[in-house]
Amino acid sequence: MTDEKLETTEVVGSEPTNGFRVPVKRILSEKDMDLFKNSITKTELLGFVKDLNHAVTGITNDAEISGVAPERAVSRIVEILEKVTELIDAHPAADQTSRFGKPEFRDLYDDIQRHSSQWIKEIVETDEKYCDGKDGNDSLVQELATYFNESWGNRQRIDYGSGHELNFLCFLYCLKSLQLIVESEYTAVVVKIFVLYLRIMRRIQNTYWLEPAGSHGVWGLDDYHFLPFLFGSSQLSTHKHLRPMSIHDPDIIEMYHKKYMYLGCIKFINDVKTASLRWHSPLIDDISGVKKWSKVNEGMLKMYNAEVLGKLPIMQHFMFGSLLPAPAGVSPESEHSASEDDHGHVHIPNTWADCCGIKVPSAIAASEMDISGGLRRAIPFD
Amino acid sequence: MEVDQEDPLSQVKHPASTSRSGDGIPEIKPAENLHSIGIGILETWIERLLKCEILSESQVMRLCDTAREILVNESNVQPVSSPVTICGDIHGQFHDLLELFRIGGPCPDTNYLFMGDYVDRGYFSVETISLLLAYKVRYPHRITILRGNHESRQITQVYGFYDECLRKYGNTKVWTAFTDLFDYLPLTALVENRIFCLHGGLSPSIETLDQIVQLDRFQEAPHEGPVCDLLWSDPDERSAWGVSPRGAGFTFGFDISSQFNHANSLSLIARAHQLIMEGYQFTHEERVVTIFSAPNYCYRCGNQAAIMEVDENMNTTFLQFDPSPRSGQSNFSRRTPDYFL
Repeated sequence: MTDEKLETTEVVGSEPTNGFRVPVKRILSEKDMDLFKNSITKTELLGFVKDLNHAVTGITNDAEISGVAPERAVSRIVEILEKVTELIDAHPAADQTSRFGKPEFRDLYDDIQRHSSQWIKEIVETDEKYCDGKDGNDSLVQELATYFNESWGNRQRIDYGSGHELNFLCFLYCLKSLQLIVESEYTAVVVKIFVLYLRIMRRIQNTYWLEPAGSHGVWGLDDYHFLPFLFGSSQLSTHKHLRPMSIHDPDIIEMYHKKYMYLGCIKFINDVKTASLRWHSPLIDDISGVKKWSKVNEGMLKMYNAEVLGKLPIMQHFMFGSLLPAPAGVSPESEHSASEDDHGHVHIPNTWADCCGIKVPSAIAASEMDISGGLRRAIPFD
Repeated sequence: MEVDQEDPLSQVKHPASTSRSGDGIPEIKPAENLHSIGIGILETWIERLLKCEILSESQVMRLCDTAREILVNESNVQPVSSPVTICGDIHGQFHDLLELFRIGGPCPDTNYLFMGDYVDRGYFSVETISLLLAYKVRYPHRITILRGNHESRQITQVYGFYDECLRKYGNTKVWTAFTDLFDYLPLTALVENRIFCLHGGLSPSIETLDQIVQLDRFQEAPHEGPVCDLLWSDPDERSAWGVSPRGAGFTFGFDISSQFNHANSLSLIARAHQLIMEGYQFTHEERVVTIFSAPNYCYRCGNQAAIMEVDENMNTTFLQFDPSPRSGQSNFSRRTPDYFL
């Protein structure tokens, strides 16, 4: 992997934090993005990705992992992910024909949310210093649960994208900040926890027809995920025979898709899409022309920094709390929620004769109140 | 990579640009614009595009210039005569567009009305929009192309068309030319004063077609307001107006469609914008129909596509079709993205 500096040297400080709290969205404009790009929070988060990436160089999904004691948080997280699998079983999806994904996803989402506080309590209590605080450990649990709950997709739109995947990364990052996960466990974090998360997500995507959130269509890397390509190219970077071009060999994909995340992604794409890879995934096809996996891996890190952590359409949904603090100077929280949420019945002048007979959504009111005139709304989803 | 070929006619002078007609009143004009490119040249461009080969950068510029002169004279509520065949989203699925022309009949034999979303997501958005514009310039009265929510600078930067132009031309000049042209596409069309056609749906700011005629459409698709709503809204099972899960436009119920159709003496609202597994679907007790014309959307969804034929007596027939059996190979060789160099 590369140690090349991806960040600029100027780093923006963050707002002071007083204890654990529920994370909120703060990024609304390109100016906020610039503050985030140069923030300590971004640097730390990307550093965590690089360290995880480094921990799986040459390591397959089925590698024997030693050194993770059963009482550690890592073991507990694996157990909890298995419980998410059981919840999927409890919410089978019915046949339907509409585009907006299957609504049973919302039942799963709600069920995860109902259980997650208890689960996360069990995780944090693997360390006795988090067993009680001023309010027990409720505020800590709520901070972590917010990231965990958003890791499975968007409840309302029934979609999933690299922004949701990022929430799972944030969840892991917070556990690391709390030292519930330590560096010697990073290999297990990727090949045990992340691989299991990925397997569960594939099942959720298939079961509930999650729409790709903000998909670039054929011009993106993948409909849903980014990190398995990043970690996956690190796994392959020391392989003696497999080359980036090997993705075009169906026998190799069949033989190795369970061992290497990158090849697992190729199999998933081949399974769900028709026509040739060149047409439905030109970017992956282009990348297969790169000579070495290590070069692919370096590129994936740069691309993650630019295309996920550096893009407003994704980062406008990023949530800041005490463990991932907002950079000083970004938009306050209230502006964001006012433009997004339905605050009930608001009357505004319009051209309909019968205003009171028609419920007018508050998005209009929010934009009417916006005196700045610039783009203050989240970029819409197709 | 396409080489910009020597074009002997590139020196032909264009007629002066028509001034913008803010009142949007349609004028039936003779097709004098054709001569700025010449029918012969246009035919060779169309022939080339039908083989799924892109035009050169300078040809795209000329095509957009000429198309703009035609589109600027079309109304925000462009009148269309029957018989006509009405089509929904294409999203760069060029081979499926060719299949559509095989099913519906070739242009200009069949009169076509497309309801937007030609670009983004598919591999061949450049070829798709180029062909539709070439037809528009060649047969301005036999094809009507409306604006979709994806015909926008902001949206194409997020959903793929920008990346595609950069990939196929090595720079973003054609993206700029196409997206500048998108500002001129009409917002809606009206077939024989009875079927109202648009990409998305209704707007709480609009109750009559006259109000749409008065809108200034010659701009980047806005983030809110009536023009935005026409491109983004969706019908919904719930009554009244609702917040759209998309973050732009609204959802509108049966009561809204009823009132709008009654107030404007319409029999039907035809719109696109949503994937339908069977290619078309009536809602709101047959007051609204959704038409989606990209089969197996994103090479993944397994849906059928459909188009709606309206005959001279205003009877409607739906033609469904499956993905085109694809032939041929990509004309583009692999190119390593900058991140991986």
